[in-house]
Amino acid sequence: MIAEELREEVHNCIKCGLCMTPCPVYKQLYFEGASPRGKVQLIKKILEGKLEPSENFHRLLFTCLLCETCTVNCPSGLKVDRLMKAMRAEILDQFGLRWQKKMLFNLLTSHRLLPFFLFWGRTLGNPLLSLLPKNGKVGTIPYSKFPRLNSKPLRNQYPEIIPAAEPKGRVLYFTGCATHYLFENVGRSVIDILKRLGVEVLIPKEQMCCGLPIFLSGARKMALKNMQKNIELFNRKDVDAVIVDCATCGAALKKEYTHILEEMGENAEAARELGRKVQDISQYLLGFDLEKFLRPIKARVTYHDPCHLLRSQGVKEEPRSLLKRIPGVELVEMAGADVCCGGGGTFQWEHPEVASGISGNKVQSIKETRASTVASGCPGCRLQIHGNLGEEPIRVVHPVELVAEALLEK
Amino acid sequence: MLNQEVLKKFASIVGPERCKTSPEDLLTYAYDAYVHEYLPDGVLFPRTAQEVSQIMKVASAHNVFVTPRGAGSGLMAGALAKQGGIILCFTMMNRILEINTANRYAVVEPGVVISEFQKAVEKLNLFYPPDPGSATVATMGGAVVMNAGGMRGVKYGVTRDYLLGMEIVLPSGEVMNTGSRTSKDVTGYDLTRLICGSEGTLALVTKIIVRLLPKPKTKRTLLAIYNRIDDAGNTVAKIIEAGIIPATLELMDKMIIKALEDFAHLGLPVDAEALLLMDVDGDPETVEKQAALVADFCRNQGARDVRVSQSDKENEQLWVARRSAFGAVARMRPTCVIEDATVPVSYLTSAIKKVIEIAERNRVQIAVLAHAGDGNLHPLVLCDERDKDEMARVEKAMGEIVDYAMSVGGTLSGEHGIGIAKAKYLPRQLSETSLKMMRAIKKTFDPQGILNPGSFLEHQA
Repeated sequence: MIAEELREEVHNCIKCGLCMTPCPVYKQLYFEGASPRGKVQLIKKILEGKLEPSENFHRLLFTCLLCETCTVNCPSGLKVDRLMKAMRAEILDQFGLRWQKKMLFNLLTSHRLLPFFLFWGRTLGNPLLSLLPKNGKVGTIPYSKFPRLNSKPLRNQYPEIIPAAEPKGRVLYFTGCATHYLFENVGRSVIDILKRLGVEVLIPKEQMCCGLPIFLSGARKMALKNMQKNIELFNRKDVDAVIVDCATCGAALKKEYTHILEEMGENAEAARELGRKVQDISQYLLGFDLEKFLRPIKARVTYHDPCHLLRSQGVKEEPRSLLKRIPGVELVEMAGADVCCGGGGTFQWEHPEVASGISGNKVQSIKETRASTVASGCPGCRLQIHGNLGEEPIRVVHPVELVAEALLEK
Repeated sequence: MLNQEVLKKFASIVGPERCKTSPEDLLTYAYDAYVHEYLPDGVLFPRTAQEVSQIMKVASAHNVFVTPRGAGSGLMAGALAKQGGIILCFTMMNRILEINTANRYAVVEPGVVISEFQKAVEKLNLFYPPDPGSATVATMGGAVVMNAGGMRGVKYGVTRDYLLGMEIVLPSGEVMNTGSRTSKDVTGYDLTRLICGSEGTLALVTKIIVRLLPKPKTKRTLLAIYNRIDDAGNTVAKIIEAGIIPATLELMDKMIIKALEDFAHLGLPVDAEALLLMDVDGDPETVEKQAALVADFCRNQGARDVRVSQSDKENEQLWVARRSAFGAVARMRPTCVIEDATVPVSYLTSAIKKVIEIAERNRVQIAVLAHAGDGNLHPLVLCDERDKDEMARVEKAMGEIVDYAMSVGGTLSGEHGIGIAKAKYLPRQLSETSLKMMRAIKKTFDPQGILNPGSFLEHQA
């Protein structure tokens, strides 16, 4: 059942069209059904009982990056993304999930299956990955551009509590699946920096996938256990903050949990409390006198705003300030830094033509800056940008990796 | 309903991807930014004039109604299939073909979004002034057939004033050119300006040639804040009377101010009764002088404060907010109908008073917005289309506003067009002879009456 607040909003769309030109998907396809106002119209008709959700509607509803650009541009104040997310949940039973998604989500919701699967992934998958045909792709990303799995999942590399002698702070660290399994260097960087700053880091072993890919596909019930477990582990009063290095996990913990639980009619109080504690790592680090700990490195860097950081969490300046505080880093703005990279989770796999058009524009803007490095605090954007850069010798990193590289030896 | 044979012919011209007929596609081409919805039978997306020509040949052979459409941001159902048939949507025909810096003109396809075109020419230090409120949505083709006006009308005029020529496709499928690439051209009837503002009833525009200006060197945005809306209205009349020509001169009342502040959080004074938002542009020295002069005028007419923007970013934010006004008022009520009556500028203050009086008498909620510099009122009538009784009162109020505008020598519509929204008032402004001439022109271009049927000339209220 779509929440009353969202149902009423569909009547407030007066079709002014201001959502269209900024919509990356509409700008590739140029027809109304691909635009936010078109989707709002269809949802309105369904809610009024004048249209049955069809396969075509289902396809249009998922021809959306959920980048939230329409929501921030809507002068009438429609929460377009939330409406679409709720509608996805609404029609899940009718259309189900594709088998690949079902398999992935089953893994992400299981404590036992995921490590098991990834163990074999490491031992067999990593070598196998190099055997795959060079020109093969998943969506827009060539096999060769996929990262290898961490030799050991990140949380297995550290104790559950990393103490500090005279603690300058105490945080819970939500590592997210990407850092845990794929981008260990991001996690190591976060931990190295926090250790150097004298912050005590708690890394709950039992933490689960944030569940965002699952509930954004509409499978809210399936994600419920993940949400509840994470809330239970992280909603603690004895820490300064819950820090997250992944824009997507941050968006989930900071606001999506609350919205979804509310819309599902569950108690959302604990989720709301947790939301207030969550900080992106770039936000948390700004509270420290970082410069003292850094030596100059030389890099021309451009920054890409992840949708889940900029629009979902309103974090825009912090990662930039963080980068600027690294001596020697020259930060150059790219044109349209705030435009989605075209990844959108599974979107790039389901709609490769649309995604590659959007990513092509992003890569073009990056090239125009003549930067040697692109920084972005989202593993999804990182995959997408790296995967679409082709032969360009441009590095894609998380901002904290650059900070960690500049850390002075003790 | 369209028969399957004809549909197949259309699909074979543009390909199945660009011929859409699913219920979802039809429902999403049933609206524009006005209130009523009409379902088309199909939507075609041509990419070339040849495709348009072939489509029209099929359409005229089979008497299929064709309604052209750009981005669908219009405010009077002009781009809707009011009597069914197909929508010819130009959003996929959207290349900028040429920007000629030596002769300062540009050639574009109809689907180019106005603001994107403006950005492209501004990169080359050129300037395309027509700037409708919907410039970030609306297409050049839509602007041409609607003769769109907008914010900069007071100084720079409207779309019509920048047209040099076009390529058009007639309902018969014949392709022809009008005008030229020179700014002077008196060869034959001025068909370019006839098509301009024809609301898509005469021909389909497939290429547009516009003249460009050098980009003004600098610009300053001023915000004057008033405790009385009359003072704001009087300021506008005084500024124009004094021979000062700002680039833009926009008026908004407290309801608009509040809606915009709710949306944009710019620190607008929500306790004020009215604001004037003004741009002065040109050479730096002139701009300095004019800005000071305009600010003085405002203060002398009772502005409690005049703020001058300090940066381009601030300019930009204010104008983004202004462009959002139409959408932003939907925060208060779900439906918004924009009036567009225009009066000679010296009547602005009394027109605003009249609008307020009409609103109160008919118990409807009206927020006042105006391209004040050219007397172009935009009373936003806030309502809920689901409330039939309220909608009847809205209709009545709108009729009275129109009557008032006519009584002081104004016009039914300054820039939004007639469409179905104002068709019933047409005889109040146009004589029977005038309507007869217009119908004859229509007949010459479109003898079968297949192009945009149900439009202003034939609409029966």
